[in-house]
Order: sequence, then C-alpha cells, then structure tokens
Amino acid sequence: MKLIEVQNNQMFKIDDIRFTGKEEFRDTIAELMLNGSRLISLTPVDPDNPKKIFAALTDKNFSVIYLSGCDFNGSALEYESFANDFPQTNYFECELAENYGIMPLNHPWLRPVRKQNVIMGNIPYHFFQLKGEEVHEVAVGPIHAGVIEPGHFRFQCHGELVYNLEINLGYQHRGVEKLFLQLNSDQRIILSESIAGDTALGHAFAHCHAIESLSNIQLSLRAKVIRTVAAEIERVAMHLSGLGGIANDVGFALPSASYGRLRTLAINSLALICGSRFGRGLFVYGGVRYDIDNEIKNSVMENLNTILNDVRQVNDYMFSSVGALSRFEETGIVSKDLAQSIGLVGLAARSSGLEEDVRINFPYSAYRYNPVSMITLSTGDVFARARLRALEIDETLRFIIEQLENLPEGEIKAGSGKTVPGSAVISMIEGWRGEIVHSVFTDSEGKLMNYKIKDPSFNNWYGLSLALRETGISDFPLCNKSFDLSYAGHDL
Amino acid sequence: MKDAIKIRILQGDPVIHDVKNASLPKLFRGLPVIEDKPCLTGCTSCAEICPTNAIKLNPVSIDIGLCVFCPLCEEACPEKLIHFTNDYNTASEVREKLIVTNKTKSITPEKASEKIRNYFGRSLKLRQISAGGCNGCELELNALGNVNFDMGRYGIEFVASPRHADGIVITGPITENMSKAVEICFDAVPNPKIIILVGTCAISCGIFKNSTKLQRKFLNENKIDLFIPGCPPHPLTFINGLLDWLDK
Ligand code: SF4
Ligand code: SF4
Repeated sequence: MKLIEVQNNQMFKIDDIRFTGKEEFRDTIAELMLNGSRLISLTPVDPDNPKKIFAALTDKNFSVIYLSGCDFNGSALEYESFANDFPQTNYFECELAENYGIMPLNHPWLRPVRKQNVIMGNIPYHFFQLKGEEVHEVAVGPIHAGVIEPGHFRFQCHGELVYNLEINLGYQHRGVEKLFLQLNSDQRIILSESIAGDTALGHAFAHCHAIESLSNIQLSLRAKVIRTVAAEIERVAMHLSGLGGIANDVGFALPSASYGRLRTLAINSLALICGSRFGRGLFVYGGVRYDIDNEIKNSVMENLNTILNDVRQVNDYMFSSVGALSRFEETGIVSKDLAQSIGLVGLAARSSGLEEDVRINFPYSAYRYNPVSMITLSTGDVFARARLRALEIDETLRFIIEQLENLPEGEIKAGSGKTVPGSAVISMIEGWRGEIVHSVFTDSEGKLMNYKIKDPSFNNWYGLSLALRETGISDFPLCNKSFDLSYAGHDL
Repeated sequence: MKDAIKIRILQGDPVIHDVKNASLPKLFRGLPVIEDKPCLTGCTSCAEICPTNAIKLNPVSIDIGLCVFCPLCEEACPEKLIHFTNDYNTASEVREKLIVTNKTKSITPEKASEKIRNYFGRSLKLRQISAGGCNGCELELNALGNVNFDMGRYGIEFVASPRHADGIVITGPITENMSKAVEICFDAVPNPKIIILVGTCAISCGIFKNSTKLQRKFLNENKIDLFIPGCPPHPLTFINGLLDWLDK
C-alpha cells in the first residue's frame, strides 16, 4: 500500500507518508483519480528542498483524504504529466512548475499561474492565439472597469462569440505562503484573514483548524457554534452580494438595490458580534475572541429574520422576471461531466450537479453535530449559479437561526499549545465559494516549514474560461459575476 | 408592476441620511484613545504584541496608518490604558496625523486648498486601483455606492476610465506585478489630479510588511492627498474623510 488515509483536520507524521519512485507514484495517483478522487494539494514537503513532492486527494464518498509522495531520488525534477488523462491536475502541475521548476513532461498546456509572459522561470510564454478570417482578439485588464481586483483576460473571438478565453492572473501576488513561515502566531491569524478579504472567516477558519490540529487544541462546542454561525453569516452576505451583482449585470436595478440593502444587514450582524463587518478579529487559536450574549443575539436574530422574510420576496421577483431569466438561462454552461473532469468545487460545482460540499462530505467543527443539507442544481448555467445562491441563503439562514436559538454553554476559548514537530495536517473548509484547503507541515523543531493554500478560485477560474466557450462576449461580465472568483485568493 | 411596488415598499428608507452622525456598533474598532495615565514601570506589553509594530513607547503612541485594528494591544495592556472607540472619523491629509497619542481626541483632515475645492468640490470622479488589496477594502468602497451610503448624492463617484477621473484611489500594498499598471493608470488621469490611499495595506503595507513581492516606488515619487486608515476602512470613514477635506 503506497497510501495513507487521513480525515479532514487530522494530524499525521510526515514520516508516515510513503515516498515512492516516479513510476509507482504515477500509478497510485492515476488509480485514485480513475476511481473518482480529486487532487487538492500538490507541493514539495520542504519548499527549500523540493526533491520530494506530496499529493493529497479526496474521496468524498468515504470522507477520506489519501496521501502519497514521490521521491525524485537525485534524478531530474520532472515527471510524466497527469493532465492529458486527468485535466483536473492541469493547473496544479503548472503551479508546481512555476514555483519549483518541477517539470511535468508532455503537459498539454503549460502556462503561467502567477507570473506574466514566462514559464519555468525563463521560457517566454505567449497567449494562445487563433488565426483565421474574422477572428479577433480582445484584451482586458489588469485594471477593470469597476472597483474590483486586477487580472488579465484574453478573448479569442469569432464575431460576437468567444472561442477561447485565457485568464492570466498573479497581479495580486503578495507572497502569502512564504509570509506564513516568517510571522508569529498573532500575525498569522491576521494574515489568514487577508488572504481573500471577502472570505476572511473561511480562511481564518482553515488556518486555525490547521494550527489547532498541529498543537492538539480541543475547542468547546460553544466556540465551534459561534465560529460556524459567523462563517455562515459570511456565506449569506457574499451570496447576497453575488445576487446583487448578477441583477446589476442584467440592468435589473430594484433587486440589485434590495440585495445590497440585505447584505448590509448581514455584514452589520458580523460587526455586532466582533466589531468588523468581515468578521476580522473573531478567530483566535482555541476558539473565538468574542462571545454572543443575549443582547447581541437578539439584534442579530432581528437582522436575520428581516433578511429571511425579504429575500424570499426579492428572489421571487427576480427569478420570475422573463427578461432576467432569458439572460440567465443557458448562458455560460459548464456540464456536469466537464465540471467533474476539471475538478470544479463549491458553488459552481453544485450548480453543475456535483455533490461537492466540504461541510457535508468532510464535516468539521459544529457541522459534525448540526448538519446542513446539500443543495445541487443541474443546468450549470448562470441561472443555476444564481438560483443556487438563493436556495443556499434560505438553508443557511435556517442553520444560523437554529444554532443561535440553541447556543450551547461553555468557554469560548481553550488554552494554547505548541505545534508538534515533523507533522502535517490538511485542513478543509467550505467557504462561500467552495473548498478551501490549507496544507501545513512542521519541521523537526515544530516550526512551520511549508504552508500551502488552495483557494476554491484556484480550481474554478478554469471553469469560467470554459463557460465562455461559444458564448457571446457581451455575456462575459454576467458569467464572471456568476462565478465571482477571488484574485487575491488565487494569487496569494 | 404590483410585485415591483411590493419590493420597493419592503426596501423602505434604508439611506443613512446624516452620515456625519451615524453610529456604529459598540465593538467597532475605530479611533483608539490612550488614557493620559502613566504606564506600569518597564511595561512593553502592547508594543511587543502589536503584529505590525504600530506602537511606540514612552509615551505610548499608536500609528493607525500601520494598525490593523486587531485589537491585541487593548487586551495586552495590564492598566487598560488603550481603548478602541467606535469613532469612524480617522481620515487625514497628512501621514503624521495618523499617530495617535494620549493627547489625540479626534482626527479630521484639514480643508483642502481653495484650488482643489474649486476644482473638485462639487464633483469628484475617482478611478480605483486594487494593487494587492485582499478585496476587503474593495468591498467597502463598493458599499459606498449601495442604497445605504449612496455616495453619489455628494457628487463623489467611481468611474471606469482614468481619462474621466480626477484622481486615483489605491488599495493594497502595491504588488510588484501591479506597480506598472498603477503608474500607467495615474499618467492617464488628466491634471490636476489627486491620490487617495485606502486601507492599512496601501498606507504602510500592514501585515504584508515583510513581503518581497511589493514595489512601492510610486508612493515615494508622488504626493498623497488623503489617507483613509482601516483594515478595511468603514465606508463612513471614507465618506466623512472626503466631505471634511472638500469642506462639504
Ligand atoms: S490594534 Fe493596532 S496597534 Fe493594537 S496591536 Fe493591533 S495592530 Fe497593533
Ligand atoms: S487594508 Fe486590510 S482589508 Fe484592506 S486590502 Fe489590506 S488587508 Fe485587505
């Protein structure tokens, strides 16, 4: 057996990982993927010495994470690419090549991940280009029209239709993963909240879980419930924001304004709990910084009940508008098969009919005791991605209100501990966009040696590219908003 | 139509009419106050724990251009001398004014020059550039356009093209990969033009101080007109900062 199995947030010893030769590694990983596993982490164990790489794959049917390793054993830092048979590994391999010069041989399309115009350190890279009559190219960004993050989009079009959209990111690259290794524990939580500011709680959640597992800290149920309540308010807020943006992109002012107003209530609820509209400052190792007393609970409940009541009516209004539906339906389709093969996650995956939700497949924290329901749709178009948000807001509000009504007693913060040497953990969280993965390794002294982050956007940007195929270029903003991906989370 | 009216009625009147006197939740961390009392002899707790080295000792001062409002110092002080208030008025036209001491009671920007007020007092169009911003600052700037804050009523708006803008608003610590775009964008704005820095990252790099992927040359070469501190700054900090600066 070349594999070990762990659970979400379960600490394991680095020495327990079986590092095999390239051939065996290839067979092991390929077999897992053939059986439906999905790659969630591909990184050297020690970034300073990348001669051993580590892969983690999930099997959602058994709630397990498989770990396997490859030792290059002094041979060249290269391996036969998996991406021709398993497109889901495509971008992971590009990242490994860019960061460590580990070459995936015969890779179908080696391209930059966070750099511009160059791969493998010094090989010039040119955008994919179509040639032919009536073919034209549109280049957008890094700076876009609105108040949004930067990225470069290259469209190859035939008339109005997009043949290919290439997305080149990296403009937000701040070196987050390296900073995690340099900063002290107080600083790290703040850094985790700034990986992607729209998912401050999601990433802080994953970060705290990773460190708590590595230092054997147990949380009280009350702390867990407060954490999940806050993380779910973040989901409601961002889903409302997404719906508002989608309404705005089809020029539907009234729902857009209404969603905007309701989102304010959601983020103001976070400010009631912890002072920050984005939940910053709430998470500490071992629990939460702020308790929810009755006064805060009542004010938050009032906000949530207003959202619950109003959003249903706004949803009915928007989703019964023929004009809006005609823009949403059959726009930017990602089929279930395609979604599966490229390894889509989260909201976008569920909109295409895949049952991808970490809260349910790999339950953690309070979701272990108080489950949420899996919601999927099948059409994989803008409609599905919008409608899914509406359905999830309903389910999420139910969950939050239930939790607040039954807040368990207990301390909100447990004592601290030291990270165990020579260990590692894979921490998965379902952020509002989807699966967040933090893979963390400690060295022989217990110091952090490798901090690998995967934002759901890392998987899903390629989904946006494919959704645009054969779609009118004028539908790009709408498709883009329906995915609503993070640049900062991708660029790190 | 009937449905639309129903939704409109639900909407009620969500606008914050008086942005100068709106109140924020108790826990909101805005302007810190430092009590005018002596520290414990030899105590360095707050300065040691501060994740961004925002605190200087003897006497204690907090640079809210560096601060990420976390609030570790407030928790660490054994004498409880540091306290974050929910006062959102923290914008300043000069960097130095962001250093809060035990004398600081409030921060408001000085009125802009008459020339600037003549040019931009009635209408100010801004081009925002995210240069490594985590999307926290960006979300709060976007919120300025929603029905609650409705900044457009003061003639202040974000526009798509730098050619249509009177100045730029920078968020994020300015990554190497965005440094050129920032320059090109600013060059494209017609004169006279202003620069506003929004958020701790833009003002001082904040938690990204040790990153080797930043390029902040642009900030040394150009005069900054307004600093809006916060991580991220509350929309009211931005609106009030601008209204005070433009004397509106
Ligand atoms: S609240 Fe500001 S000054 Fe105080 S410790 Fe945090 S970053 Fe430093
Ligand atoms: S100041 Fe804070 S919210 Fe703004 S970009 Fe920086 S980390 Fe994000």
